[in-house]
Formats: sequence, C-alpha cells, structure tokens
Amino acid sequence: MNSTPALLNRILLTVLGLILLGTGLLLVLLATVPPVGSWWHSWSGGAWESVSRLFDSTRFPGRPESWLWIVVALALLALMGLMVAWIAQQGKGRSNLLAAEYDPGEIPGDVRIGGGVAEQALRQALEGRPDLAGATVTTYDVKGSPALKVRLLPRQGVAPHLLAAEVSGLLDALEAVVGKEIPVLIHIGAGARTRFSRAERVR
Amino acid sequence: MSSSVESRRANSGSRRSNGPDMRRVVYRETHSSRAVVSVVAAVLVLVLAGYGVLESGVHAVGQPAWLIEPQVAAQRIVDLPAGIPPLLLAAIGGVLAMLGLVFLLNGILPGKRARHLLAGAPGEGLPAVVVDDEVVASSIARRARLAANVTPDQVMVVVSQRQVLVNVRPTSGVPVDADRVLGAVRDELDQMLLEPAPVPRVNVTPTGVIGA
Repeated sequence: MNSTPALLNRILLTVLGLILLGTGLLLVLLATVPPVGSWWHSWSGGAWESVSRLFDSTRFPGRPESWLWIVVALALLALMGLMVAWIAQQGKGRSNLLAAEYDPGEIPGDVRIGGGVAEQALRQALEGRPDLAGATVTTYDVKGSPALKVRLLPRQGVAPHLLAAEVSGLLDALEAVVGKEIPVLIHIGAGARTRFSRAERVR
Repeated sequence: MSSSVESRRANSGSRRSNGPDMRRVVYRETHSSRAVVSVVAAVLVLVLAGYGVLESGVHAVGQPAWLIEPQVAAQRIVDLPAGIPPLLLAAIGGVLAMLGLVFLLNGILPGKRARHLLAGAPGEGLPAVVVDDEVVASSIARRARLAANVTPDQVMVVVSQRQVLVNVRPTSGVPVDADRVLGAVRDELDQMLLEPAPVPRVNVTPTGVIGA
C-alpha cells in the first residue's frame, strides 16, 4: 500500500547480493584451490599495475599525492548520498488527506477532508463489535490519490467474508458522508491479540 | 458506484475502476516487502563507503592513513593466499558469500505472504479484501467442527496457497462423516471465493479421542 520502491529494492538487493556472493566465493576458492591462487596473482597483479600507473600519472605537480584520490572520495560521497536517498524511500506513503476538491459554492476556496475523519468514524463504528479484537484505519497516498487501509483483527472463528461485507457497508456509509469514492483495502489479519483471546461463540 | 456488476467482478474484487491501480495495491499486500533488508544493505554500503571516503580523503591531503594505507591494502589483496591463514580466509569468504546469498535470495524469490485475496459474496461489490490464512483456517475450523460435531481441540486446519487440509480426530465411538465435513468446508470456501482458490481435503484420523 505504501510507496516503497519494490522493483528498485529487488534490483539493488540482487546486485549487492551477487557482488558479495562473488567476492566470498573467490576468497573461499583462493584459500582452498591453489590454481586459483596463481591465476589471481597474474590477473590482479596486472590490474593493480595499471591502476597504480594511473595514480602515478595524475599527481599534483610537485607533490606525491594524486588528485585521483579526491575523485575517489567524491564518488564515494555520491554513493553515500544515493544510499541515504534509497533508505528515505522506504515505507513512505502515509498521508493525512482524504479528499480535496474545488467547492463550486458561493464561498471561495477548496474543501479538504482530513484522513482523521475516516479513521475516527470507522474506529468508532467498529469499537463495540464483539467479534473484533482490534481495528486500525490508516490513510495512504497511492500515486497521488488518497486510499484507505482498514486492518481488522477478528477473533477466532469469525467468517472473514461476512465481516468484510459488513465493514463494506460501513465504508459505503462513509463514502456517502464524504461524497467521494475512496479506494479501500481491507486487511483481515491475525495477531497475538487474536490468537490468545477467547474464541467468539455466539454470532 | 456507477459501474455495473460485471465490470466489478472483472476488476478482481475492487469495485472502483477509477483511482489507483488496486491490483498493484493488492499485490503489495500479498507479497512481502524488502524494506528492512534494503535498509540493512544500504547501511552496510554506507559504512563501507564512509570508511573509503575517510581513507581516500586523508590520503588526498597527504596525511598518514587512519587504519591502513590504500596502496598497502591493495598490495596485500593482490598476493592474497599468502599473508593470511587459509582457514581465516575461507571463513571470511564463507561469511561474505552467505551474506550475499541472503541479499540475492531476498531480491529474487517471489516472497509470497500467507494471505489470500477474498472475492467475497457475489454481487455485493466488496472493496479489495486481503485475508491472512490464519483467519481463513480458524473460520473453516469452526465450520468443520460444527459439521463433525466435535470440540474445537479435535479439529486442525492448515491453509496453504493452493490447499486446505482439515484434520478431524473423532470422539471415540462416534463416527465422523468425512463427506459431510468436506461439504461444509467446501460451502464455506465457496462463500469466501478465495483467490487463488485452494482445494479442500478432509482427513479423519483412524484413532479417536476418549472422553471429549
């Protein structure tokens, strides 16, 4: 429901996993198989030779250090910035706005209805039910349009389809009040609270 | 609200055709998120890159290295099998490979959660409903218990992606009609209209429970 970049996560995790797996396998092979060691010597020796030649040719005039180090540092800083941006993308998407419409009436301005309206109203309506151990309502922003997520924790033995139908009636009433169709996701879940509470006997 | 019943059904449980793509939302809800693993991976890269920045920055201004001179480190890596006990090297490699495998599998595997999509009672136009398998199991267990006329302890239901397995231990001396239980379970599943639809199976154990 939130806007976690699922595909990006998968791609980056796969790339990182492949790199780490490759490095680890190389180290294991180096430690166990002698021919790999000699191959590694010739290959990495050549590579390191060319890299150090590059560093030597990019020295500051008159000083022993290469300005390539500054480039390396900047590149790593950019990588750090990207990683921070990646972390910041996770789990975003909660919003506070249920509806925002232009009001064509006489008073100028827009009408905005906060997510708290739906959350409070639904929680109030679901509070006294004996077949529910808990319920939470959250407003999300899915690609620019508001959506509701209703999480229900029914007691053991409650038929989920009947519960969903009843909550759906409540949502219809809410839509009539708000005057706008809101996409809704109902999640009927189980948790520690439902597992260890008494079963609902009479319905 | 103006959409017809047929188009609602075609919308796989979501009655709203406008607004966001409900199929995507439902997919998100039935598949696990990689947010935690991603944050761990990003922090790992951050720490490594931070050390790299420190070392290369120190080197660029001509100061002595903090932990190890980059050239020395590279030289050590080049003549690697020498200079370190092979057991330690293999252990480091093994740990790195395990970590990489965890990340790789997290990135590749489908990551399905134990949840079903509920298409609901036909014609009623439900919003998108996702149900934990545990809730489905407890609902079916109640129905099977009533059909078999046993106590709750004697029924165990396992719900997986494509199968519902109902285990009934009858009370000793009171036979349980497996077909009746199966009929009740099937009726309950037909009302739920789970997606993907699981196939029910009833298993009545040959040994009974005494004094239940």
